[in-house]
Amino acid sequence: MVRVKHRYLVATFLYPGAPTATSSKESLSQVLQFNQPTSDRLDAPLLLKAIRQGVAELFGDYGAGVVSPSLRINYLSPATSTAIIRTPRAHCQLVWAALSFMTQLPDPIAQPCVVRVVRVSGTIRKAEHEVIRRAKVIIKRAQE
Amino acid sequence: MFYDLNVPWTASDRELQRTVAFLDELGYDVVALTHTLSGKLPADLTCPIPTTLPFPTPSRLRFLRRCTLILADPSQNHRISQLSAAYDILAIRPTDERTLKQACESLDCDLISLDLTQRLGFHFKFKMLGQAIERGVRFEICYAPGILAVDGAARRNLIGNVVGLIRATRGGRGLVISSEAKTALAYRAPSDVINLASVWGLGQERGKDAVCKEARGVTVTAQLKRTSYRGVVDVVYGGEKPEQVTKAPALSKAERAEAQKKRKADAMNSNGGSLAGNSPKPVPKRDFKRQEKKAKTEGQVEVAPTKDAASGTKVNGVTNNMPIRMED
Repeated sequence: MVRVKHRYLVATFLYPGAPTATSSKESLSQVLQFNQPTSDRLDAPLLLKAIRQGVAELFGDYGAGVVSPSLRINYLSPATSTAIIRTPRAHCQLVWAALSFMTQLPDPIAQPCVVRVVRVSGTIRKAEHEVIRRAKVIIKRAQE
Repeated sequence: MFYDLNVPWTASDRELQRTVAFLDELGYDVVALTHTLSGKLPADLTCPIPTTLPFPTPSRLRFLRRCTLILADPSQNHRISQLSAAYDILAIRPTDERTLKQACESLDCDLISLDLTQRLGFHFKFKMLGQAIERGVRFEICYAPGILAVDGAARRNLIGNVVGLIRATRGGRGLVISSEAKTALAYRAPSDVINLASVWGLGQERGKDAVCKEARGVTVTAQLKRTSYRGVVDVVYGGEKPEQVTKAPALSKAERAEAQKKRKADAMNSNGGSLAGNSPKPVPKRDFKRQEKKAKTEGQVEVAPTKDAASGTKVNGVTNNMPIRMED
């Protein structure tokens, strides 16, 4: 069967910036600080717009055009700071590069962050497995 | 094993601690803390970076100390050998074509790290760069200035220069990718870096080599230059035990021999119990001492070959339990 091929990128948001002044956060371990939950104001359209902008900035109209037909946010969980992003298979590197060049969350939030792509998968099923596995690993590490 | 050979060192502990923890989170294994010198070399060349950092560090991470020397004038470098002895890695940052030529051809350094965010007024030539790569000097690409760049110019220059470097090194042989990030925000995970390099035209395999193999090559050759015999053979700590522990089994062996002797003597005594009247005087004290000494030496001789068998090296009868390992 002929179908449109995709790549699914599993991305996590990390926060290496200085902790905010509240003393309660000061005592948290570094693992929890880096993997803290994302602001609830971040939703899929906002992230999608930011990615489109990033691709357009890095690769111009060509990049934006080539990527746009199948770019989509399949899953976004602010609580675990994880997202699954669907990209065209041939041009997933452009989206990945745009994510690497992101230094802060999109504009109304504007919190400094690092986006890390942890898995590139051909099917969404495997991407979901990876998300679940990572969530378990992080919980285990946080409990230590 | 992932390497980041350019992590700017700052005296502020908290900042550095966060950076180090974040590098561990991203999955790096070896990190080189960088101290940058420019202009005339100061009188005191000792390394300001402490060997053990003043805060708890992740156990997996290994630290190296590196110095980046900004080279503006080709005549001001007669103390480079002293400088390289004080650090684990010495990198040179040439500012123009003349200094780059000098660094490629003759200077005794481990890395050549150009400032790629600036527009360099010349093209890279394979002849020049090839000489450096043949000598074992690698070229460094620092990606973080491009990520942190506010204006497009720095990023454009970076990409243009990287493409030039890849072309001049015939597909990216002998390149190392590292970060040079001013803040923790600009560090990226190794896989992200490899993807970036692949977008810039380096190729997936070469990109991975640039973060793993080539970077490892730099650290190993730098270490060999400093510690080994003629840069070829080095004695690596091979897990040999400290002095006391090696002696202990020999002593115990002698004691065992002594104990055995005692037992024999006991047996003789008990045997000779029937000949009570003869009162067989046990071995004279002098003989006993001699025997004891003999037992001791025998015990050591007995132990020595087993040690040899374990380590596999014996030089002129002197046991050498440090395995000599060849490094590439």
